[in-house]
Formats: sequence, structure tokens, C-alpha cells
Amino acid sequence: MEKIYRTEEVETVALNKLNLDVKEGEFVAVMGPSGCGKSTLLNILGLLDEPDSGSFLFNGIEVAKYNERKRADLRKRNIGFVFQSFNLIDELTVFENVELPLIYLGVTAADRKTRVEDVLDKMQIMHRRNHYPQQLSGGQQQRVAVARAVVNKPKLILADEPTGNLDSSNGNEVMQLLTDLNEQGTTIIMVTHSEHDARYSHRIVRMLDGQTVLENIMV
Amino acid sequence: MFRNYLKIAWRSLKKNKVFTFINVFGLSIGLTCCLLISLYIYHETSYDSYHKNASRLVQLGTTFIRDGKAERTPNCPAPMAAAMQQEFPEIEKTTRLMKLFAEDKTLLQYNPQNGPAKTFYETKGYMADSTFFQLFSYQFIEGNPATALGSPNTVVLSEEIAKKLFGNEPALNKTISISSNTNGDTTFTVAGVYKPFKKPSQIDARFFVSIRGGRMEPFINQQTDMLNNNMFHTFFLLKPGATAASLQAKFPLFVEKYMKKDMEATKNYKSQFLLPVTDMHLHSNMKANITPVGSMTSLYVLGSIALFTLLIACINFMNLSTARSSKRSAEVGVRKVLGADRSSLIKQFMGESIVMSLIAFLLAIVFALLLLPGFSFVSGRELQFSLPEHVPLLAGFFCLALLTGLFAGSYPAFYLSSFKPIKVLKSRFSNSMATLALRKGLVVFQFMISVVLIIAAVVIGNQMRYMQTKDLGFSKDQQIVIPLRSNTSKNIYTALKNEVKRNDGVLQVGASFYYPGIMNPSDILMRKEGQSLDDQKDVFLNTIDENFLQTLDIKPLAGRLFSEQFPGDTAERIIVNAEAIKQLGFASAGDAVGKTLLFDWRGETHRFPIVGVVKDFHFQDLRVPILPYGFFLNNRTSYNYLVVHANTGNLSSLLKNIGASWHKLNPNEPFEYSFMDEDFQKNYDGENKLQGMVDSFTIIAILISCLGLFGLATFSAEQRIKEIGIRKVLGASVSSLVGLLSKEFVRLVLIALVIASPIAWFVMNKWLEDFAYRTSIGWWVFATTGVTALVIALITVSFQAVKAALTNPVKNLRTE
Repeated sequence: MEKIYRTEEVETVALNKLNLDVKEGEFVAVMGPSGCGKSTLLNILGLLDEPDSGSFLFNGIEVAKYNERKRADLRKRNIGFVFQSFNLIDELTVFENVELPLIYLGVTAADRKTRVEDVLDKMQIMHRRNHYPQQLSGGQQQRVAVARAVVNKPKLILADEPTGNLDSSNGNEVMQLLTDLNEQGTTIIMVTHSEHDARYSHRIVRMLDGQTVLENIMV
Repeated sequence: MFRNYLKIAWRSLKKNKVFTFINVFGLSIGLTCCLLISLYIYHETSYDSYHKNASRLVQLGTTFIRDGKAERTPNCPAPMAAAMQQEFPEIEKTTRLMKLFAEDKTLLQYNPQNGPAKTFYETKGYMADSTFFQLFSYQFIEGNPATALGSPNTVVLSEEIAKKLFGNEPALNKTISISSNTNGDTTFTVAGVYKPFKKPSQIDARFFVSIRGGRMEPFINQQTDMLNNNMFHTFFLLKPGATAASLQAKFPLFVEKYMKKDMEATKNYKSQFLLPVTDMHLHSNMKANITPVGSMTSLYVLGSIALFTLLIACINFMNLSTARSSKRSAEVGVRKVLGADRSSLIKQFMGESIVMSLIAFLLAIVFALLLLPGFSFVSGRELQFSLPEHVPLLAGFFCLALLTGLFAGSYPAFYLSSFKPIKVLKSRFSNSMATLALRKGLVVFQFMISVVLIIAAVVIGNQMRYMQTKDLGFSKDQQIVIPLRSNTSKNIYTALKNEVKRNDGVLQVGASFYYPGIMNPSDILMRKEGQSLDDQKDVFLNTIDENFLQTLDIKPLAGRLFSEQFPGDTAERIIVNAEAIKQLGFASAGDAVGKTLLFDWRGETHRFPIVGVVKDFHFQDLRVPILPYGFFLNNRTSYNYLVVHANTGNLSSLLKNIGASWHKLNPNEPFEYSFMDEDFQKNYDGENKLQGMVDSFTIIAILISCLGLFGLATFSAEQRIKEIGIRKVLGASVSSLVGLLSKEFVRLVLIALVIASPIAWFVMNKWLEDFAYRTSIGWWVFATTGVTALVIALITVSFQAVKAALTNPVKNLRTE
């Protein structure tokens, strides 16, 4: 696929005829210098953006030309996101933040409660369920973000530098969570600058100028 | 989902307390102002609409044509009602009403068989025909409205007066004596007691006496002339199906039949017109009807203020909502990533906005209820706010609040929700140039309104000061006015005058029928000897004693004042003012002295030699130009007012002495007095009230504008926090940063000032045109307003600017 950003004077090729195939259940780390197109790739994979040309098969279905509404629908059912800056909603408690994707999926209140409590338990953050994000440490906030990403049992989790704002101990904890999720069958694509984090994955895809230049299979 | 929206809305409001306060409080104040003014407008437009036959009730008015100018008055002569009923089959019933006009108060006395006499001065008494209560609806709690004034010497009292006179005893058939300048001293039997409606009426009566039975009856019965003595308010109940317009179309023939001869003989022309009773207050096109009329201009002014205040509040609400929206962009992004579609985001933002506007609506109702008594006082109206009556008004305001909420929420709802999630998540969201321009435009508009209101308040204040301090042409200070209302009090005039004169600190004592500042209904058409009837001029007249002009310190320009030293001074001699001399065509005041003025009445010419000319003075308020005025002496010692010119540092002691003299000479009547300067100022009650209202609403408009400006300044400081940090690191001083942050807002206020000044100048010049004597709008008004607006804006903005500039730059940069 190809993605070009244009302004009046400058044309920036973000993805240059990039080819990438990710199998179900894989844990892929995407690495590369700033501006190489990692985030653009992640956005397109997360159906937050669309390629200018080329094809994007999600679960075998062509989704590159999906409109906003269809992309939103596909996204909320199949994809979970984990961001570097957590992106929790400050006005909502831990429980309510995690509950949000289920609300958009139309899950009943009773069902939501069970599922949120279940996932908070797994993330060992249940005791903080009524706290607001500002009352939590960075590591705890990211655990909430991961909980929110997995609560609707997505097929794919996209993580954008998930440990970027964390110290090493909290970073390791989050990476362990992602690894556990992957072992339970969730496909994970993670953008990272950290070689340490990348080593948790099955495969490292290295990018440069909008293309994949090298793939390392981790043993 | 809805609960989630509400939860987020509530927590977001709680988290951003300052913004929430500014938004909700600002909007609620705007709604409160609008609600209060709406209640006032509702009150003003509902006069006399409660009468059962309101749609068929009309008032007969007279248009005088003098010097080519038409002047409408609400009165006509006594015999006209009957003549019209005889001529026009459209009229089912007629009734006449006359205010006991020649006094401010009437003496009511009740002498119970057991116990002391009860004596009160009461205001707002009217003489009425027996049919009055058949046309107009009154809630009788005693007596029968159909027959209440049917017998001579009957009186119908308001519940309040009945209670004062008779306590809890029934009032019906009790006898009271009523003393008035208009109707003499007569006894009346109570034929009814009514409970006044809570709705407003031009007929502000507190008691009615039957026309039959008083001193006026013989005078009224003698009247055959349809041209002169236009003293009666006359009303018709039209037959069903008859229209006022078709009936009025027949009046020219009536006028020709009954008045043509008299009109041509006296060169005094008039026509008759009809006015629906429901239009008496607002659409009579007269200076006053039965009571002072409402002003459509004032309603438009107040309506505009209401609308603009609400607009300012709504603009604030929208402005701050949009300003704050950028802070919500991350949330929008997260929600979109998590699966929110556009419609759910639109619903969420709209919901928040509506929640805020509805809270403001509820607060506005509470504020309106709390402020209503004060507003009633300022507006001079007994305003009501009751649920069953004002449901439509409240429903309208509910919709208005809802619309404001919808409108304010629409920008963040539609604009933010349209962004791709990644854009709002990854980059710090900033508003487009168009949005910023819109926001600046809104600030300019808000301050324009505030500037117009400030200028209006300054001009009104100026005019009021001008009216209070202008030399009226007579000495108005320490003039004590003692009303002589009953025959007894009129009879003690000479003795009282002599007693009062003996007090230290009394300069002069005089008496008259009228005094400057109160209504003078007495005027005749006069001409200079040698002139024709076409040259007649209307001259107002006052009957005085030999000391009245000296008491008021009105100086002669030529000739002399009346004096006891001239036994030839009788009621046939006249003193006129300079304006009369000018209008009647004399070369000078000196030229007029010794000449004669003529008055033609029923074929006879009466002659009045001029003994003196006095300098012009204001006998009416400053809205009215000084008109021709003349003074006669009285053949009898019967006056309506004794005026005492005092010059003492101890007025209370003097008043105590005068009171003692009064009680000695007239033990059965209470002693009352007023001060002439205060009575004169009462003419400006309307303007005083307008000033009070404009001042209040100006403060409110400024407050709301400042709240808006404060909110935007806060927002601007937050938006530029990184810039401030970088500038500080590079060495910017606090003052330069404050200047940087304030400059933009000061520029906006200056633009508002430039646009608003000519608008305010135009509007206020129009308002001033109502006054014959007025102040001018000098450059300093705009300068003062400009400085005021700028200072207010600077204080508002600099608070945030200083706070932002003083913040540690490291913190600012880390925030980014």
C-alpha cells in the first residue's frame, strides 16, 4: 500500500509500496527511525486512516475502501488500541474507562459489569476500579489502557510505543501483559523504538522511508 | 449510553469549575434579565384586558387642532356621551369617569356612633356614572355592581379603604363624608366594596363616588356645550358586531352637527376618535390617559436590552463552549478509536450543552423570583410571576434555553466529531482561523452592546442631573406646600397664613390653585386687543393670592406683581410670563404692560389688563417647553395650596410649629405637607425608573461580557502556555508577557468602541429629543465610556495574563 501526505509545497511519502503480511496469532514489532512511516502503518492497520492506493485485507476481506462508518464498526469489534500516552478519559473512573468500548458495542449493563471486572482482575487493577486516571501511576494507567483494549476480546491489538512513558519495571510488566494476551491467541502489532521491547515479539519488521527493509524472526 | 453521556457531562462540568460557572451563571443571568423584562412587557401589554367586555369597550377621545398641530386628549365634554348614544345605534351603553383632579388626595371621614371619628387622606378617587360597573368588571365583595352607583351620593370603596374606615365590619350602607376640591364636602353612602384585580388597569381607582350628589352635579347638568370643558373620560360599550372604526367614521358628521357653529365662532377646532380600552395604556398616542401611559419606545428599548443581554449570554455560552472544545479533542479521538460513531459524539456534546443550558434555565427562574420585588420597585409596576398565568412564557424560555444549548453544542458536536481520530489524538488540536475570527467577532459584538449601554446610562444620568439642577426660574428649595383640601381647610387660609408668617425662618407665604410641577388643567384662548380670533393663543392660568409670586421668588420683567397696596388689583387683572408676551405679539414686556388681553366666551368678550410681565419659569417639567402662562387674583379666599417659603436650618421645628397651628385651627383633619422640589421631581419618576433599569442592565451586560472575556483570556493563556514558557526562557519580562496576552483583547474592545459609539450617539439623541430642555452628548461621554470599557477589559484579561506570565516556564514547557 501507499500513503502520501501532501501540503501545498511538500509531498511526503509515508508508505512507499509497503508489503506486509501478519498471520493470526502473531506478535509483530515494527521498528525504525522517526518519520519512517511506522505510525502511519499502524493507523491504517487500525482503520483510523486509509491508504491512498493498494490493498488492505483484514481477516481476508478487502477493507481499504471502507467508509468511515464501516471502518468504525469493524474497528470496535476487532481491534484494540494501546497508546504511548495511555489516552484514558480523565473524567471517567478506571471501571468506566474500561467499560466504554462495551457501551459502544451495545453490551448490556450486567454483561459489561462481569466482563470489566473480569478483565480488571486479570490486569490486577481491580482495587483501583473507582479511581480516576490522575490518581494512578503511569504503569497502572497503561494497565487500564491494556484492559480497555482487550475487554471486547479483539482479534488484533495495536500498540503504539506502549512503554514509551513508563519506567523499565512498569514497561516490563506491560510487555508481559501483551505477551500473555498473545499467548492466549490475540494478534499483536506493536510499534516501538525499544530493542528490549521488540524482543518480546515473534518478528521484528524494520522500516525505512516508508518501506520494510528487514525482517528479523525472533527465536 | 445516555447515563454515560450525563456522567461525562456532569464530571466535565465539575472538573472545569471556572468555565462551568461562567457559562451557566452567565447564561442564567442573561435568561433572568430577559425573563424579568418579559414579565414587564407582559404586564404593560395586558392593561385592561381582563374586563369581561374588553373587546367591545372603547374610549372616546378628543383631538384638538391648534396652530395646525393636532393634540390628542382622553377627555370630552359631559353631554357628549348621551348625545352620541342618541345618534349612534352601535352604542349599547355609555359611562363617564372623572378623576377628582384638582387635588392629590381626598379627605374621607367616618364618624361611628360609638368611638372616635376616623379621618384619612386617600388618593385615586374618581367620580363615575351609575353605569360604570356595568361596563367595567370589578370583583364586588359587598354590594351589587349593577346597581352600585345607581343612587345619588353613593360610593364604592376598594377593600383596602373599606378596611381602614370600618375595620372588619360590613361597609355596606354606612355613611362617610368626602371632602374634595373638585366635588366639595358631601356625605356618601357605601354601595359596594370591591377587591381589585391583580391585573393592571389604566383606571387606578381606590374609590368611586357617584357623579350624582356632589358639588359637580349641577355644573355637569348645566353643560350643553360640546366644545369646551373637556373633562370627562367617556366610554362606550359597543353592540355585538359593531366596530370602533365604522362608528368613528361617522364622527365628522356628528362634530359638524353639534360643534361647527361654536368652533367657527371661537376658531377652536377639534375632532373625536375612539380608542379600544385595551389600547389605552400603550397605544393611546397621548402624553397621559387616565393615568400615565406606557411607552412603546421604552418597551422597545427594554425589549432590545433583554434580547441583547440574552444574546451576550448566549454568545458567551457558545464562545466558551467552542473555546473549550479543543480541550476535548483527545477525548473525541479516544472515543472514536474505541468505536464511537459520529452520531453518538454529536449526541454527547449536544447533551452536555443542553444540560448546562437547562441548569441555567432553572437558576434563572430562581433568580427571577428572588429579584422580582426589587425589579417591581425599580420599574414602578406591581409585577406578578405565577405559574398558571405565565406557563406560555416559561415554555418559551424553556425552548429558548434548549435552543441556546443546542446551538452552543452544535459547534463542538459537528466540528469535533468530523475529525479523523488520529488527527485529534496525535496533534494538539487548534481551532481554525475562521473559528478564531468568529470568536473575536463575538467578543466585539458583546462589547459593542456593553458600550452602547454604558453610553446610554451616562447620557440618561446626565439628563437626569441636568433636570435636577437646571434653574427652573423660581425658587424651588425649602418651599413647603400645604394642601387645603376641604372647605374647612380652605376657610382657615387667612388665619393659617397669618400664623405661619409669624414663625422665624419663614420668608413668604402665598396661596394658589396650582403650583409648578403639578397638573394644571386650566387654560383659555386669549388674544391681544386688536387681534382677530385667528390669532388666539392658549394661555395656562393660575389663580393666586397677592403673595404667591413673591413666595416663589418669580421676578417681574416689566410692570409689577400683585400687591395688597393696589386695591384695584382684582380677578380681572392679569400678570403673564414672557413667553405669553412673545406669542401674543407684543414688541416687549414693557410694551405689554397696561395693554389688554381678550378672552371670548359664548359671544362675550372679557377684558384683562396686564399689570405685569414676569420672567419665564418652568411650571411644567422639562420635557415640555415653557408655554404662555397667566396669573389672576382670586375674588374669594379659597385656594388649593398654601405655599411657605422657608429659609431655616431647622425645618423640622418649623414644620412642627406649622402643624400645631393647623391642628389648632382645623383639629379634625390631619396635617400634611410636601416639598415643591420633590413634587417637581416626581414628574421624572418614569425617567428615574428607566435610569435605574438601564443602569442595572448595563452592569449586568458588562458583567456577562467580562465573564466571557475572562473565559476567553483563560483559554487564550492556556493555548499559549508553551509560547509563554519559551518567551520567558528567552528573557521576556512579566510585563511584556501581560502586554502580549492583553493586546489582542484590548484591540477587540477598541473596535467595539468605534462601532458602538455612533450607534449609541444616534439612539440617545433620539431619546433626548423627547425633552424640550436637554443636555448634549459631548465627546467626553465617549472618552469616559472608552476608558471605562478598556479598564474593565484590561482588569478582566490581565488577571489571567499575569497568572500565566508568572508561572514557572519549566512547568509550562513540561505541560506541553
